[in-house]
Amino acid sequence: MNGRLKFGDALRAGITSFDCGNAIAREIDEKIVDIPADLNSYGYDPWGYNPKVFRDFLLPAAMMYRHYFRCITNGIENIPEGRCMLIGNHAGQVAFDGLMIMAAMVLEARPPRLARAMGEYWLASQPWLGVLLDRIGSSIGTPQTCADMLDRGECILAFPEGIRGMNKTYADAYQLQEFGLGFMRLALQTNTPIIPFSVVGSEEQAPSIANLEGLGRLIGAPAFPITLTWPWLGPLGMVPLPTRYHIDFGAPLVFDGDPNDEDHVLYEKVEQVKATIQSMIRDGLARRESIFF
Amino acid sequence: MAERPALPKTGPAQIHCHDVKKILITGISGGQGRLLAQKLIGQWDVIGVDRVPWVGAPDGISIETLDLRKKRLRNIIRIERPEAVVHLAFVRHFRSDPRVRHSVNVEGTQHLLENCAEFGVKRVVVLSSSYVYGAQPDNPRYMQEDHPLNVSRTFPEIRDLTEVEGLVNTFLWRYPDIATSILRPVNTLGYYVHSAIGRYFKLDYLPTVAGFDPMMQFIHEDDLCEAISATLDHDLRGVFNVTGSGAVPLKRAIRAIGKSRVSLPESVADLLIDRAFRWGVWEFPPAALEFLKYPCTISGRRFDEATGFKAKLSLEDIFAGVAR
Repeated sequence: MNGRLKFGDALRAGITSFDCGNAIAREIDEKIVDIPADLNSYGYDPWGYNPKVFRDFLLPAAMMYRHYFRCITNGIENIPEGRCMLIGNHAGQVAFDGLMIMAAMVLEARPPRLARAMGEYWLASQPWLGVLLDRIGSSIGTPQTCADMLDRGECILAFPEGIRGMNKTYADAYQLQEFGLGFMRLALQTNTPIIPFSVVGSEEQAPSIANLEGLGRLIGAPAFPITLTWPWLGPLGMVPLPTRYHIDFGAPLVFDGDPNDEDHVLYEKVEQVKATIQSMIRDGLARRESIFF
Repeated sequence: MAERPALPKTGPAQIHCHDVKKILITGISGGQGRLLAQKLIGQWDVIGVDRVPWVGAPDGISIETLDLRKKRLRNIIRIERPEAVVHLAFVRHFRSDPRVRHSVNVEGTQHLLENCAEFGVKRVVVLSSSYVYGAQPDNPRYMQEDHPLNVSRTFPEIRDLTEVEGLVNTFLWRYPDIATSILRPVNTLGYYVHSAIGRYFKLDYLPTVAGFDPMMQFIHEDDLCEAISATLDHDLRGVFNVTGSGAVPLKRAIRAIGKSRVSLPESVADLLIDRAFRWGVWEFPPAALEFLKYPCTISGRRFDEATGFKAKLSLEDIFAGVAR
């Protein structure tokens, strides 16, 4: 690789040529070393996380956090030390909400934390995407990987709605879709506190009018949303609108019980989490005065 | 290739004493077999079988050149009555006829196990491989022993390994008095072993797949010897993953051993390697590419807890040993 300009380096050079970009780059460099991680002598943790790649990845995300979505984050003090599970609403066709949560966990949390996102399985078979997912400390959401990470005191980020939430049409905006039960089973099994969070602003970044799942399946993707700009403008159509993000972290929810309980028993607990997030979304929407400002 | 002192030509003199128990190592002339024989020679009365002779074997090790499927194996076990058997004799390359490979591995193992049961062998260790889990995109990052053995889904050429495990598992349940164990070590590297990953790392230009860089675990051949020896010492029964000193991405490992790589797009790699394998200029079947794309990482916790095993050689040591 030596002598070849890497994409990450080029991006970094571009961003740091601006004053604000330079300031954020310095801030990230300072904070990233404080992220607790179990790195080996080659600079990788057991799941493939590499701080150097994460630094280059986080820089544009942090720029978006500060200057594009201009995130207002509340309740970051609810993040406990040690293992925890961040559970929240998913929207916006492209997972910028996950990205902003990761940025918030580094920029705002004390000490900075690595939020390990549990991705869709199909990501792992995509060239570059799968590797990137590993290098930024995330993984595909296999229950065992997740349990291993929690055992080691990591912070997991999961969207139990998955694709159902992210690729819903605008008609369902801010209405939580069906939650999976897997996260609750893992939380009970590993005795992990759940931190509910809500993101307000993500629904308006790319309002979708339809989701052509059949076409998505044809090209091997889990969804194929139609928005006002996608696919009409080509790749440009993926650029989100500059809405303002309001991110709220709630107080930790701790559940007791048998992880192997019947689904309906787990479902009741999941409903509590869901209701908490839904009310946080309502509060966030009520507080919001403008979509863009 | 890094310098490594040659194995001594003569081992300690064979101790003629009834306390010393006999051990039979199959595949003793292979790299791992020779290392293990050297290691065990003081504590055990070592005998070995292999299809090829071990030139320069230490005194005190009697070696028979034979095919495991042949009746002479039965005679050896009947007369020698070994207390323990370590089964390393597998065809692990793809240069020979796949039917011969399958027959040697599966029927050879079956013949060996039958005779172990009949002539009072007390401990059996079979060296399988972590490859039996297969490299799949949706694998958990650290698979445990109860994970399904999926390798044949994408890599049917090495399904004989999972079939061998099936035989050994049946044997394990059928003979509760015999301490039978299956070891599934991660990628083994070293001076003597001729592992698939070792042969791959010896190429001048290593093909990799663009956009893929799976985490890979490595263990040094000496540590693997240590693990086999610990299995014998602890009379282990069951199936155990054996891991070394950690994991690094494949491309980082290639850099660490100082090799150049050629990054090929997925479709090009599939096509090129398929043709090259068919023409016999490339020794790995196209399905082996899965291991260069997807993770096949395992958790060795169960083995470490059962034996107190801890790999001595770090990843740096392992890579320095194969670096040129």
